[in-house]
Amino acid sequence: MKDLEQLVTELADDLSTVKPAPNPYLLTFKLVGAATIYLAVSLAISGVRPDWIQAIGRPWFAAEIVMLLSIIGAGLLSAALLSFPDLYQKRALVLGPLWACILFLVVIVMAWHADSPPAALPQHSIECTICIALLGLLPAGGMFFIMRRFASTHYQWAGGVVMLSAFSIGALWLRLEEPNDSIAHVIEWHYLPMLAIGFLGLWIGKRMLRW
Amino acid sequence: MLEVKADLEGLMRRSLAGDKAAYTELLRETARLLRPFLTRRLSSDSEAQDVLQEILISIHKARHTYDGKRPYQPWVYAIAKFRLQDHLRAHYADQLRHAEDISDMEDILREDVTESTISYESIKGEILKLPAKQAAILQLMHQEGYTSSEVAAKLGMTESAVKVAAHRAYKVLRQKLER
Repeated sequence: MKDLEQLVTELADDLSTVKPAPNPYLLTFKLVGAATIYLAVSLAISGVRPDWIQAIGRPWFAAEIVMLLSIIGAGLLSAALLSFPDLYQKRALVLGPLWACILFLVVIVMAWHADSPPAALPQHSIECTICIALLGLLPAGGMFFIMRRFASTHYQWAGGVVMLSAFSIGALWLRLEEPNDSIAHVIEWHYLPMLAIGFLGLWIGKRMLRW
Repeated sequence: MLEVKADLEGLMRRSLAGDKAAYTELLRETARLLRPFLTRRLSSDSEAQDVLQEILISIHKARHTYDGKRPYQPWVYAIAKFRLQDHLRAHYADQLRHAEDISDMEDILREDVTESTISYESIKGEILKLPAKQAAILQLMHQEGYTSSEVAAKLGMTESAVKVAAHRAYKVLRQKLER
């Protein structure tokens, strides 16, 4: 290693004005805007489920949608904060997706109990997971691309949060697109893979966000 | 203490505006601030010095993520802890690899390392490509028929070191010959 004084001189010589990173709240706002547009365009292309007005009137379905929106919102805010080495000194907000996921699981368990007699299972199964994954890929890639420009010191957590939010967008899209009310199917083929992908994000983050 | 903090933030703001003198001062002050933090956590001064340099480079790379309106020290300590953890992780991973080598060695040390089913002549070309010491050990053992203790005496090494070096050389040769 070089002498410290020599390194300081070299770094100072290399100093140039750099574009400051945006405020994380502004970054979150932009990410939420992009996610909203992406979701709206996807729904415009695929079409919304024909019974969406009745579906949204059912309390557990509405709670499920609200919780998915919370996971996306909390995830995007957390991802923006995790882009900064010191988490913008807002550590509590970074844990938002964790609380949102816990609440989401509570809502899902309650919805499952309320599903009596159980709604008929649809014919398809893994096709839903594939659709969610395909729809989640673009937001995930975009978020990793944006976050690589900053300096995350918690890249595993950041990777998990990115994957969870991106695939939650896919899960929300499918829930609003597919006229299916079987909560067992939704848990097995929509939400368990979505959470699993969040865990996979811990590993992806380690590879994508190192600096 | 408060004065130092305020000063560091001012220096960082000036640095971000392109003031090289302020940046030099900031890096020196940061090094002064972090040195005790690192020496308390690392075993040697030279190790602390290496990590300190990595931290300064990281500060340079991540300077655009500093918000001038927020305190400087939490930002810089976050980077310092991150680099320290990286360093310790790599350090312990190295130690683990080394520990695995040693456990391999425990069996090898009991073996007769001069016993081989391959003749020296058939692999001479590959042996000469090995590091000089390993090549010399294999040459003495297999071409000239010395025992490991005789090689040790001849090369001024311990017998265990000769066996370990021979084992490593065999490992490399095996990989090459299996390709």
